[in-house]
Amino acid sequence: MTSKKETIISAKALKKSFLTADTEQTIFENLDLDIYKGDFTVIMGSSGAGKSTLMYSLSGMDRPTSGEVYFNGKNITTLSDDKLAVFRRKNCGFVFQQIYLLDKMSLMDNVLTAGVLCENNKKNTVKRAEELFELVNIPEITRKKFPSQVSGGEAQRAGIVRAVINNPEVVFADEPTGALNSNNSTAVLDVFTKLHQEGQSIIMVTHDKKTALRGNRVLYVRDGKIFGECSLGTFTKEDRHRETLLNNFLTEMGW
Amino acid sequence: MRKILSQIIYQLKKDKSSYISFGIIVLVTAFMLNCAATLLLQVDKAYDKKFENLHTASVNVCIPKFQDNAELSKAITEMDGVTKVESHEAILAEVVVKKFQDADFSMNTMFYNLDAKRCLNCFEIKAESEKTYDNPIYISLYVAEFGEFSLGEEIVYVIEGTEYRFTVAGIIEEMQYGNYGSGLMCTYLPEEEYLCLYNELENSLMMEYSLSLNENAELDKIKNDISSICEEKGVTVVSNLDSVSVKGTRTMVCNLLILLLVSFAMIILIVSVFLSNFRVKNAIESEIVNMSVLKALGYTSGQIVASITLPYTMVTVLFALLGVVLSYAALPVLSQVLTIQSGFSFTINFDVRSLLCAVIVLSGVVTLFTFVSAKKIKKIQPIDGLRGNTSSKLNRKNYFPLESTKGNTQFLLIMKQIFACKKQNVLLFLVSFVLTVLIAFSCTLFYNVVVEPDNFMSALSEETPDVIITPKEGYTEELEEILKGDSSVESTLKYTTGSIKIGDSIVTTFVCEDFSGVKNDVCYMGKNPENADEIALGSALWENYKIGDMVTVSLGEKEKHFKVTGFVQSVNFQGEICELSLQGYMSLCGDVQTPSIYVYLKDTADAEKFTESYKKDYQAMLSDTVNSQKLQKEAQDMYMGITVVLVALIFTVTILIVLFILYIIIKSLLVKRKQELGIYKSMGYTSSQLIAQTIGVFMPVSVIAILLSSAASLFYMPCIYQFVFEAIGVMKNNMEVSFGFLLLFAVVQIIVNIIISVILCMPIRKISAYSLMKE
Ligand SMILES: Nc1ncnc2c1ncn2[C@@H]1O[C@H](COP(=O)(O)OP(=O)(O)OP(=O)(O)O)[C@@H](O)[C@H]1O
Ligand SMILES: [Mg+2]
Repeated sequence: MTSKKETIISAKALKKSFLTADTEQTIFENLDLDIYKGDFTVIMGSSGAGKSTLMYSLSGMDRPTSGEVYFNGKNITTLSDDKLAVFRRKNCGFVFQQIYLLDKMSLMDNVLTAGVLCENNKKNTVKRAEELFELVNIPEITRKKFPSQVSGGEAQRAGIVRAVINNPEVVFADEPTGALNSNNSTAVLDVFTKLHQEGQSIIMVTHDKKTALRGNRVLYVRDGKIFGECSLGTFTKEDRHRETLLNNFLTEMGW
Repeated sequence: MRKILSQIIYQLKKDKSSYISFGIIVLVTAFMLNCAATLLLQVDKAYDKKFENLHTASVNVCIPKFQDNAELSKAITEMDGVTKVESHEAILAEVVVKKFQDADFSMNTMFYNLDAKRCLNCFEIKAESEKTYDNPIYISLYVAEFGEFSLGEEIVYVIEGTEYRFTVAGIIEEMQYGNYGSGLMCTYLPEEEYLCLYNELENSLMMEYSLSLNENAELDKIKNDISSICEEKGVTVVSNLDSVSVKGTRTMVCNLLILLLVSFAMIILIVSVFLSNFRVKNAIESEIVNMSVLKALGYTSGQIVASITLPYTMVTVLFALLGVVLSYAALPVLSQVLTIQSGFSFTINFDVRSLLCAVIVLSGVVTLFTFVSAKKIKKIQPIDGLRGNTSSKLNRKNYFPLESTKGNTQFLLIMKQIFACKKQNVLLFLVSFVLTVLIAFSCTLFYNVVVEPDNFMSALSEETPDVIITPKEGYTEELEEILKGDSSVESTLKYTTGSIKIGDSIVTTFVCEDFSGVKNDVCYMGKNPENADEIALGSALWENYKIGDMVTVSLGEKEKHFKVTGFVQSVNFQGEICELSLQGYMSLCGDVQTPSIYVYLKDTADAEKFTESYKKDYQAMLSDTVNSQKLQKEAQDMYMGITVVLVALIFTVTILIVLFILYIIIKSLLVKRKQELGIYKSMGYTSSQLIAQTIGVFMPVSVIAILLSSAASLFYMPCIYQFVFEAIGVMKNNMEVSFGFLLLFAVVQIIVNIIISVILCMPIRKISAYSLMKE
């Protein structure tokens, strides 16, 4: 790995704290971090360490208490709420643990609701959505169903389609397989791997070692900072070497 | 019950502000219902009780005193159904009371001797001055309250051109006459003052027979019998007044108020039912997971339905009670206001029946409707609920699928929402429609009273000249010549009023030399009389005669036949009126009556200056000159004032109701869609897009309802007004429904709706995508 990678997100002196019952709880402070284009970055750490908080601060979903986040060189911390919304629709895709599909719409319409924000020609959007549904293996009949009528795995794969419909610079995923059983998890993770192989930048928060193996760069959050990081190389199936690498790293971090 | 108590408390706590706003609507409804019920139950009774206590006679007949004789008295006493007869002497005069509420007020007044003994038609002295005055007078409660006269103040009566000055020494309450609507009022003078007046107005001396009847006696028959007895004996009946019609006019405003309160309460009740219904549906959608968890835990559907329904019942009972309590604070004020018009005082008592009625009706209706909408939980399987599926139907329809429907996405998203909650929108449509009926009604009233006042005034008043001149006997022609030469005069008409008899009933007649010249044509069918043998009858006589019929009319000894040419309307005299040509009237009464001259001025002329100059310049020829334009202007101002207040009131109430509705709709939409809004925000939708989307869900329905209702009112509003006016005896009204005004009011209403909605949706701006979702 000698070729210099292009930075896509750069956080400078980031701080996030919450005010709870008059006491200030600092989640992280003075945090510097660069995320590179084309990387599948995995964020790990114990529960409550601040993984989600960090990820949402990087993505413009939440405002850091202080510090700056540069997205493609542009400071997004100073943007107004509406500007931030417009920024999100072009640059970020989100996948949530609870999936959060709009429950009064079919899966297809859920995807199109996001898609039409960036693409004026609806035909193109529909075409792309169909390709993506094809990619995540959701047949046409299922696309017409409501979220409450499909399995968790199907719903989450639709969630991923929604996240990438606008070709975002980065896909953010917060424990996307947290609510799924192992078969469904594998199907969902395969989608992420496929996307990554096509050059999609991904940031994913996870607890799960197997999930983390899909990434090529693992960050460990502890004590309000990036406690350590590890480079894994590209994912291939049944790769003992990467597995050992990750295990050692996690033991070192105090997992 | 104990098991679900914690659930109920949870429900109430979770959404305090919505329950409170719902409670306030219930409170307002209960307030109005209780006011209406209390008035309905008590005023009538209070009236009858006072009527009894003062030994008021059921029929009072008035005849000229010089025609009274023992035979007549005997005949009346021996009539069937009469239990007691008492005769009272009185002076009857057409008077003008000066400064009656700052205007000159003309009315027929009976002056009685205060010190004469009486067993029937007693009066109660409400207030009496301790001091002694020079010319004491005891006026009736109506004159005191409505005319704004208090003890010790001077009151001036103008009788036949002479001013009589009295000082108010007492205020009495009686049940015989009461208010202006009955056409007669009374006043009492101590013996000394009475005799003074007696000597000056010997021609106006009357004898009044007051009759108590037994329970089975028919009022109308007795009245007719008396008329025929008098006719037989050649006695003129000056007035023949019965207690039922007096009661009708004295309690009219009270009855109108009750009607108004009940209809308002009903509209608000519909609104509150709509709201509770709406809230329950939303609660089910946003709480479906929790409810399914409860189901999974083993709660029965019944318990869950109860935990949703009972909070509403409890809130309704509590706030309805509060509303009732508040209404008891307002009722005394209301009763005082009613006293001004009805001329009798009454105290409001606590009545457990009206309380129960208000509370039970309200809580029953609310519970029923919330129960019906909560019942759908029963059909939902726990597992569907846990997955967030609130529909019992498995195949829900995806309205307007984005992939295949053409059109703007923002618009399609709104359409999706609208169709996803169809029933709710149907209700919203109905509520908006009904509220717009109220607005359209008040808008039309406003237009016809304030913008085009002539439309409304013509329905209420009789002839409306600018100045009324009453010449002294023999000066009529001379004055007419003078008026013709006056450059500010447009035209003149000889006009007078009198009493004649048609069949057995005494009828007020309007007499004019040429009805084609009048400004306010009250004829609503056929035409006005032109020749000496023609007559037009009032609406009360409509059933008995047809156009072309011959009618026998008598006045004193004289009798003549007239041909009916048409029918005329009147708000006063219960429609018992008629019109005669001047020659026709003269042929009945000879030349004794000197008609007034109605003067119509040119637009540029000043009626006040005109009146003053004639009073000064032609004093010798005139017995009276009245600036009638000023009187009309005053009446018009009064109606305008009332209308503006009423319209403002209706508008405020409507806006308040709308505010409540929108508040509850938007609040629960925001609660329900909180997560959804968060998801939209994470996708990159801006706050303004989401506000537009949220408002777009219900605003189009409401806007369409408002516009349709306004448009429809163009057609049904004339019918409503026709109905209302016919109820008070006006068959032909000139009320116009102005399209422009309706549109203006509708647009204002829509704009207000949108502004309120945008303000209520503002919280969408403040919440960030991330925190929205975390909650
Ligand atoms: N809105 C908030 N207000 C107050 N404290 C918060 C808020 N959001 C998060 N926190 C706190 O911040 C800390 C980090 O939360 P975060 O959700 O980032 O943890 P995490 O690492 O994602 O944990 P997990 O793996 O369990 O999801 C926690 O201690 C949490 O209590
Ligand atoms: Mg987390």
